Amino acid sequence: MAYSSERSQEARRGFLDPRTKLALVLVLAVFVMGGLGGEALRPVKTILSALPFALLLAERQWKRFARGILMLGIGYGLLTVMPFLPRALNYLALLCGGILTRFVVTVVMGEYLIATTSVSEFISAMERLRMPRAITVPMSVMFRLFPTISAEWKSIRRAMRMRGIHLGGAKASQVLEYQLVPMMTSTVRIGEELSASALTRGLGGPTRRTNICRIGFRAQDAVLLAGCVFVVGVWILELCGVRLW
Amino acid sequence: MVELNNVSFRYGVEESGNLHEASLVHVDLTVQDGEFVLLTGPSGCGKTTILRLINGLIPHFYPGVTEGSVTVNGRSVQERELYETVLQVGTVFQNPRSQFYNVDTTGELAFGCENRGLPEKEIYARIDDTVRRFGIEKLMDRNIFRLSDGEKQKIACASVDVAGSEIILLDEPSANLDYSATLDLREMIRLWRARGKTIIAAEHRIAYLWDLIDRAVILRDGIIVKELCGAEKNALTDEELSAMGLRSVTPEAPDEIELPALKESDRTMVLRDFVFSYPGAKQPVLNLQELRLAVGEITAITGANGAGKTSFLNCLCGLEKRCRGTLEYEGKRYDRKARQKLCFMVIQDTGNQLFTESVLDEVLISLPKEIAGGKERAAELLKQLDLGNFLDRHPQSLSGGQKQRLAIACALASGRKLLLLDEPTSGLDYAHMMETAELLNRLRDMGTTILVVTHDSELIRACCGRKLSFDAR
Repeated sequence: MAYSSERSQEARRGFLDPRTKLALVLVLAVFVMGGLGGEALRPVKTILSALPFALLLAERQWKRFARGILMLGIGYGLLTVMPFLPRALNYLALLCGGILTRFVVTVVMGEYLIATTSVSEFISAMERLRMPRAITVPMSVMFRLFPTISAEWKSIRRAMRMRGIHLGGAKASQVLEYQLVPMMTSTVRIGEELSASALTRGLGGPTRRTNICRIGFRAQDAVLLAGCVFVVGVWILELCGVRLW
Repeated sequence: MVELNNVSFRYGVEESGNLHEASLVHVDLTVQDGEFVLLTGPSGCGKTTILRLINGLIPHFYPGVTEGSVTVNGRSVQERELYETVLQVGTVFQNPRSQFYNVDTTGELAFGCENRGLPEKEIYARIDDTVRRFGIEKLMDRNIFRLSDGEKQKIACASVDVAGSEIILLDEPSANLDYSATLDLREMIRLWRARGKTIIAAEHRIAYLWDLIDRAVILRDGIIVKELCGAEKNALTDEELSAMGLRSVTPEAPDEIELPALKESDRTMVLRDFVFSYPGAKQPVLNLQELRLAVGEITAITGANGAGKTSFLNCLCGLEKRCRGTLEYEGKRYDRKARQKLCFMVIQDTGNQLFTESVLDEVLISLPKEIAGGKERAAELLKQLDLGNFLDRHPQSLSGGQKQRLAIACALASGRKLLLLDEPTSGLDYAHMMETAELLNRLRDMGTTILVVTHDSELIRACCGRKLSFDAR
């Protein structure tokens, strides 16, 4: 059968709309990572924390799921053994455990957003939110800049090892500086070439863009968005002194 | 029709007083509809600048001072907005890694059409048409970061095709491609020719498109020195070309060059159990039970993209923990860790292996600490490699060829016996390619064992005495 881009776009449609994913990242960042809200939100937060992991499973992202669970496990493990450690280690364990348990869930949600959203879907969603282009364009570039930067970083690390510069060697103090010199040059160069290429393909014109990807709210989006509204609602009620349970 | 009328150009900003030397001087060039014109000449001759003037990146992205007029279909590129010019002009760039906006291939093909607001139905139809004509069904719905450079360049060409531009500019599109990927590129250009597209290509490697072009425009220092077409173009010999600083026009597959892998008289080093596979991959990319290579010679390593050549260099350098192979060199056995101190690799992005803020410091960090008079020794080495005047320059501000020589100076300073190079002449013009070849010959005469991974048949002819082919699995 001949290739049909329309059929393949339909098949690739994500489980959630990008806007729902964004809303979830925001809610998690504020309530789980930021720690907003008191006692009343505690059970809600537990459910919220499980959400990104459930979503990763739904989209068959096994590796990311395993990595997230592992980090979270390490975090809680550290907090559990903390009281039995000598003083210096005790502080370190508390610090690391605290950071991990607070940040991992939101980071996993962000990873889910980046991994399961194409650039086209993201731009399309931002446009439907009426976001100005000055915000949309730089944010969409980030999607491809992360893998680029990580590839450059690895290539430089490898070159340093080849030349015999590594932590623990005689030149350890300068390792970071050595890493950053080529990193900055290559990132600037890639950024420039990227912009030049995007401009020659008509990015930045006044025409209203179209998007071939399929996005839009479905039942699962409605449920999760209602959940987000509910969380914010409980928090506002709590601020007003109303306790639901 | 594309017209450059008495055009001169200098990069830089006039008001701040940092104008560069002229990139183009009084250039007149007319390209008719449906014509295929090749721009060629030594590095810095101005061919890329001409393309940027036509697609509007000059003056709308790269600042500078332009004299004369540049028009596309009768409309001035300078006065028109950039997004209007690029409706008619599509560009394929040199670096396959930095011309993508999307992460997935299908989104990338649609990008140009989405930007100009075409209806979704039409974009789907256009993509399907291009995919069918270019035969790239296998590349669709893939992550671009997982494609080879050759495949990336195919996607870049396909996305220009989907946008449907009448004028297509190619800025050294073959610089990073192997022989067979270059032939694929040629095939796509042929399809465009058949559709009557206007094509303007800037290239050093001219062999693969020489018989397709209508006209060759040869530039030097921003001036058009010669225009060739018809019988005159076909009668040109390789000697006349190299006198003009141009590469050969006869395509030659690196695998067809006859060279022995080893000669009877060679001293050899023995590689054992070099097996390597990427994490999660079922098939190893590299599977060498025993391999003998000549010591004190220059061996070319050829083979298609993806045949494991770069992995081989990484394993040999001891950079891959998963490869447990050993090397026997001059009666001693080297395991992975020991090889890290025996081998020096000059990588393709040479800038990524230069870490300091001056050329002299760069060599000093490679010089063993116990050697007395380090500075003098480093300066001496740099002088030998024609970098004597650049001791205080920032390594990242050097030209590509100079960065490469600096990396080689570091290799010499480190006193390592084995020098490995990964595609040292991709994107180099004839003169610079020959300079690299001569330098490698000099190093061999000094007793260095050299392995060069390369697609460049001319480089192999100029300096390699042994050859090893890797087959793609």
